[in-house]
Amino acid sequence: MSLEQFKNRNVGTQNYVKLDLAHTPTTGWGQFKQVVGRTFKPELFVGLWVTFREMGNALVGGKMHTTQYPFEKLPISPRYRAIHDMLRLMESGNYRCIGCGLCEKICISNCISMETKYDENQRKEVSEYTINFGRCIFCGYCAEVCPELAIVHGPRYETASEQRASFSLFEDMLTPIDKLNLQQEYDGFGAISPNADENIKPTPLAY
Amino acid sequence: MDSTMLPEVTAVGVIIKAVLILAVIAAIAGFGTYIERKILAFMQRRLGPQHVGPYGLLQLAADGIKLFTKEDIIPQHANKIIFAVAPVITAATAFIALAAVPVFPGFTIPLVDVYVPSIASDINVGILFVLGMMAAGLYGPLLAGMAQANKWGILGSARTAIQFLSYEVVTGLSILAPIMMVGSLSFVDFNDYQADGTWLVVYQPVAFVLFLIAGFAETNRTPFDLLEHEAEVISGYVTEYSGMRWGLFFIGEYANMITIGVIASVVFLGGYNDFWIFPGWLMIIGKIAFSFFFMLWVRAAWPHVRPDQLMWLCWKVLMPLAVINVVITGLVMMII
Amino acid sequence: MYEVIAFYVFAVSTTILFTITAMSKNVLYAMSSLAAGMVMISGLFFLLGADFLGVVQLIVYVGAVMALYAFAMMFFDATKDIKERHQNAPLVFLLGGLMAVLFVVMFSAPIIGDNIQALYPYAVDEFGNSIKNAEYVGMILFTKYLIPFEVAAVMLLVAMIAGIILAGKKMDYSLTECEVSDEELKVEELDIAEKLKKEEA
Repeated sequence: MSLEQFKNRNVGTQNYVKLDLAHTPTTGWGQFKQVVGRTFKPELFVGLWVTFREMGNALVGGKMHTTQYPFEKLPISPRYRAIHDMLRLMESGNYRCIGCGLCEKICISNCISMETKYDENQRKEVSEYTINFGRCIFCGYCAEVCPELAIVHGPRYETASEQRASFSLFEDMLTPIDKLNLQQEYDGFGAISPNADENIKPTPLAY
Repeated sequence: MDSTMLPEVTAVGVIIKAVLILAVIAAIAGFGTYIERKILAFMQRRLGPQHVGPYGLLQLAADGIKLFTKEDIIPQHANKIIFAVAPVITAATAFIALAAVPVFPGFTIPLVDVYVPSIASDINVGILFVLGMMAAGLYGPLLAGMAQANKWGILGSARTAIQFLSYEVVTGLSILAPIMMVGSLSFVDFNDYQADGTWLVVYQPVAFVLFLIAGFAETNRTPFDLLEHEAEVISGYVTEYSGMRWGLFFIGEYANMITIGVIASVVFLGGYNDFWIFPGWLMIIGKIAFSFFFMLWVRAAWPHVRPDQLMWLCWKVLMPLAVINVVITGLVMMII
Repeated sequence: MYEVIAFYVFAVSTTILFTITAMSKNVLYAMSSLAAGMVMISGLFFLLGADFLGVVQLIVYVGAVMALYAFAMMFFDATKDIKERHQNAPLVFLLGGLMAVLFVVMFSAPIIGDNIQALYPYAVDEFGNSIKNAEYVGMILFTKYLIPFEVAAVMLLVAMIAGIILAGKKMDYSLTECEVSDEELKVEELDIAEKLKKEEA
């Protein structure tokens, strides 16, 4: 691509290819010929065949498109920013959070609030940690800034609830201690979704 | 089938037949909504209704409960009597048309020994009667649209008038050629004419295609569903209707689809004659079911036409074709 | 027995419906009762054994003629009552009465007169075979009533051609694609512009 072509931001009709459409007939004979031609063209039956074939595909070929949502769910992308998860250390089961307060600082909607104290070993410990999900805009800064990968965005995107508080306490977000072996490590921003291979389609070159 | 062999038709038999038609066709018409949704879904590779009962089979019951318990709204400025009567006209004419149509084969109830005939009322102008009743059916949408004091309704009823009036011409003319060949207006004669296994569609393919097209227009099915096309006129003549009144329009439409299916099967597709190893009753049910399925299939496949294209198609293409077909049939009959 | 009951039902309902047609001030009521009355009349035909005529009554009057009335009704609000204007009430009364008397005379003439004999569609021909209704109507139409039938056909043809000519004068003439009207508009615009210039001057 030459520089002139590249710099030409006036993208418009210059690259369009006009379809070779037939002229609209003006004479009566021309119109008659058009009608007869269209009547006996198999296009209509091609349409019928396509729908019938798709019905066969769906019923016999197992290509049914429907995902029955509450019963089966599509895997979501790791880039998806849903309700936060607080992770534990895999070895000891302790909280990863060291109470540094960076997430509270960086939160642009001021929805994270935490209280810390020193424990008996003079280590910092989180005593209160809540996220106000009425305010959270799910920007993901908290997860990005966390030095310990303690707060990440989890997969819980079904956020309908009777109370706002249902998700927002530290204990709700924390991995339960008995399910520690099921804890998923965060793939990080930019990770591709687990079913990315299936979704890949060849891009048309002349796009 | 020789008519002399059949037992005598009694009044009780006719009444039983009428009740049967009402019950079965109304049920099938309701069930038709389920079938339609299911088939359309399959053709778009969806699942369709699924959660009420096994495979969603009880969806009909759910819909019925919903329709019956829904608030019945009559708009303030509507003409209340006509508004209330219009859906009844649609349903009633659809069922009256079925009175002269052979719907199921005749049978005898075992214990009480009552013969239930195939046709509730075997008048010798059956085809014309059915066409006339379907013509009278246009008053349902027409009055509904005009009585509801709604601009969309008026548009819908205007479309009703032009569409039904125009396509009645095509229906009548297209079915005229087979009538000329058979020389009778009775469905039974049509059936007997094809008893040797040669279907009339072999002799009259043009008339069959024309009749099907006009049938789609008269039952307000998809390529010609201008009366209530949502994208153009909200819901046309049913805009203001709700609850069971709306349901009556629906039942009428489905009953009309069945009627068209019956006419097409009896007049063109060999009627209830035995075919190979299949008994007659299975054949007629199969043919009606196929024509019902065909209507849904077309709905899934084809887009609908503009009103001006509809009129163009009727008066400049179908009507001349039908007339030419009638003339050619007459000439051939005269020569042979 | 059933026939008598059915006859009275049809007759009374026809009369009531047509009375509504004449008396009602609401167009919608008038039209629907007229259509329903036509259906009742076809019921009378069926009772008389004239199946074919009954069906034709249904198709022609109910299906076509009345629907055309309805089509004309689209142009005004059908849900409102209409105020009738009688400028000369005695004249209306006189004309209406005369018409009624005329109809009574016309329809009672065959009862009084001996020379007038209509051909009824019999169910049995001279050889004793049963003939179907439609066939007999056809036979009568093409033998005894051939000339009126053909004259009516020619009249309808003339009416159809006249209708096509009246309606189809400018059928291929689209206003949206019309260049002449555009030019007319341009001329008007120019005129207005000139006027404005003159006023400014």
